[in-house]
Amino acid sequence: MLRSALARCSARPSAAAARALTARRAPISAVSALSARFYSPPSNLDKSAITGRVIDVLKTFNKGSEVAADKVSAASSFQKDLGLDSLDIVEFIVAVEQEFSIEIPDKVADDLKTIGQTVEYIKNETDAS
Amino acid sequence: MAVAPTRLQVLALYKQFIKNSKQFNNYNFREYFLRRSRESFRANVALQKPEEVARAFADAKEELGVLKRQAIISQMYTFDKLVVEPLDSQKHTPSPTGV
Amino acid sequence: MLRFTLARSAGAMRPATLSSRAVSALGSNVSLRRQYASSAAAVAKAVETDEGLSIETHTDVQAANKEQTDIRTNSNISSNVTADAISSGTTALNHAYRENTGFGTRPIYMDMQATTPTDPRVLDTMLKFYTGLYGNPHSNTHSYGWETNKAVEAAREYVADVIHANSKEIIFTSGATESNNMVVKGVARFYKNTKKHIITTKTEHKCVIEAARSMMNEGFEVTFLNVDANGLIDLKELEGAIRPDTCLVSVMAVNNEIGVIQPLKEIGAICKKHKVYFHTDAAQAYGKIPIDVNEMNIDLLSVSSHKIYGPKGIGALYVRRRPRVRLEPLLSGGGQERGLRSGTLAPPNVAGFGEAARIMKQEYENDKAHIDRLSKKLIDGLLANDHTNLNGSALHRYPGCVNVSFAYVEGESLLMALRDIALSSGSACTSASLEPSYVLHALGKDDALAHSSIRFGIGRFTTEAEVDYVIKAISERVKFLRELSPLWEMVQEGIDLNSIEWSGH
Repeated sequence: MLRSALARCSARPSAAAARALTARRAPISAVSALSARFYSPPSNLDKSAITGRVIDVLKTFNKGSEVAADKVSAASSFQKDLGLDSLDIVEFIVAVEQEFSIEIPDKVADDLKTIGQTVEYIKNETDAS
Repeated sequence: MAVAPTRLQVLALYKQFIKNSKQFNNYNFREYFLRRSRESFRANVALQKPEEVARAFADAKEELGVLKRQAIISQMYTFDKLVVEPLDSQKHTPSPTGV
Repeated sequence: MLRFTLARSAGAMRPATLSSRAVSALGSNVSLRRQYASSAAAVAKAVETDEGLSIETHTDVQAANKEQTDIRTNSNISSNVTADAISSGTTALNHAYRENTGFGTRPIYMDMQATTPTDPRVLDTMLKFYTGLYGNPHSNTHSYGWETNKAVEAAREYVADVIHANSKEIIFTSGATESNNMVVKGVARFYKNTKKHIITTKTEHKCVIEAARSMMNEGFEVTFLNVDANGLIDLKELEGAIRPDTCLVSVMAVNNEIGVIQPLKEIGAICKKHKVYFHTDAAQAYGKIPIDVNEMNIDLLSVSSHKIYGPKGIGALYVRRRPRVRLEPLLSGGGQERGLRSGTLAPPNVAGFGEAARIMKQEYENDKAHIDRLSKKLIDGLLANDHTNLNGSALHRYPGCVNVSFAYVEGESLLMALRDIALSSGSACTSASLEPSYVLHALGKDDALAHSSIRFGIGRFTTEAEVDYVIKAISERVKFLRELSPLWEMVQEGIDLNSIEWSGH
């Protein structure tokens, strides 16, 4: 299991490196950096499927049981609506990375405030699977 | 004098702790280091003095080295999963691209 | 001779072939892997060859399980249980297992009193001494010796620190069994001209009891103190047993079967008053309950490393320096360890033990809170079943050791029905011999109850999910086994079992 996770990681260091480079060169807001960077085709995942999986991850990650189910929607803010603190959000991001086999750079992750933004990021991620 | 780390640096270190803890193949070690990472970072949220924060940060960085090495060793010597351990819990849906 | 050489060369060839295959396997995947950057990833690459050829290791636990079950089944047949009953029981029990439900097969480890898993932080410390730092710590002519010696002395500090001792008072031994032997035999032999009497208890670990028995052959008298129904010794009885020619009182700190904590401070005060050396076997207590050798007037104290998540094969003996405690060494030799324990120290073990002790101190509060919480949950969960009771004092106990009796259930059948949980019915030696525990006997439990007792060990790495699983599994199977039992039927009908006249017994 972990081995396969590693294998998945190993498949895309070039993309990660490219992302890191872009992030360093363009210290503008991460969201605009996103659009500027995506010269490669976005992932072929369906947006509603991504949303479903992100919400699944949200419900099953470490603090998932404490999240009120009725407050979960694309617009929910992690901090304000779901009551997650910055450490919880880091754990959630790790779970999302694991689920979609991607790596979200720390700076970008810090700017993801809602489920919708997270879904949008994954949608634009070439390697998400 | 030691400089206190930024918020982003602390969060990045926390992410490393969580990721490396999750890498342990051994269920009990994995669960322990996840629990311990959560507890110690949360306990240190209350730290105010820059030198205290800096020291906790430096200690944690050293511990991260141990965690990284041991997570790798745990993957080298693997054993059957425990009866409380789900065989597959990583993905919610099978990967469509099948990496 | 020739055959030997051949066999050796064949053995030497095998790894060579393996590695060349590994290299080619790596080569075929090189395009996928060349972008690795971090060192961690580089090591992971080495681990990950291809699916067909892995350098990973693992054990087949199921095979071992089956073998163990066969042994148990066979030994049960020989102890007058019919094979039919066993096989029908086993078949019927299968429904109770969680099989093919997407979970693993390896049992939960709940035998923390037998030994504990080695903490990864301990292993990390030890590996340095198996790779680069291989000097003999007693070599004082070069830096290889100095660096290991420094590590050994640092470890000694950590080990001493936990019990508020001075590092000069710590002697490294091979484990608590050696430490206990060293004390019982060594102190007695040193004072044999003037002293002839040793006091210990009936619930001590076998090694203390046997060492004391062997001193009886050397002309010593030994008093084995009784314990009450809670497993505690009577301080008045202890004081009354002390004679002018008593040289040693040895009382264990935490019992390995029932987890009861003896009143160390009070015993220490009595020993000091009568000028008798006080030894405590703290194998199960060290780092887990607060111990202060000065406050408790402890003169000698035995420690085992593998009970505190350290390496196996090492332990320590605390020997007080002021006032000095004299003992005759067991081993003759180069006079290492203050002349009390000759032989080259094993730096990997010593350093690992030191790190384990350091972590015990650092993590004391956290471990305690975790173990207290899980222990309470386990006790509440198990005692929710009818006719169960906790063995040993409920108050004076180390919570990580929970010993529970399940009346009207045969302990061995229960253990057999619990292949998915690694448990023991007592200490490791008694569970192999199928003899009821002498510790529970000393508490006044009858054979039947002693036989139906199981010890649960909770430690640093035990999880809540494991405790939940154990409670559920035990409750289900106790219920199941009782339904098979005619005794249980009679109890349900309100028949007093003591009124039954057994025939052909």
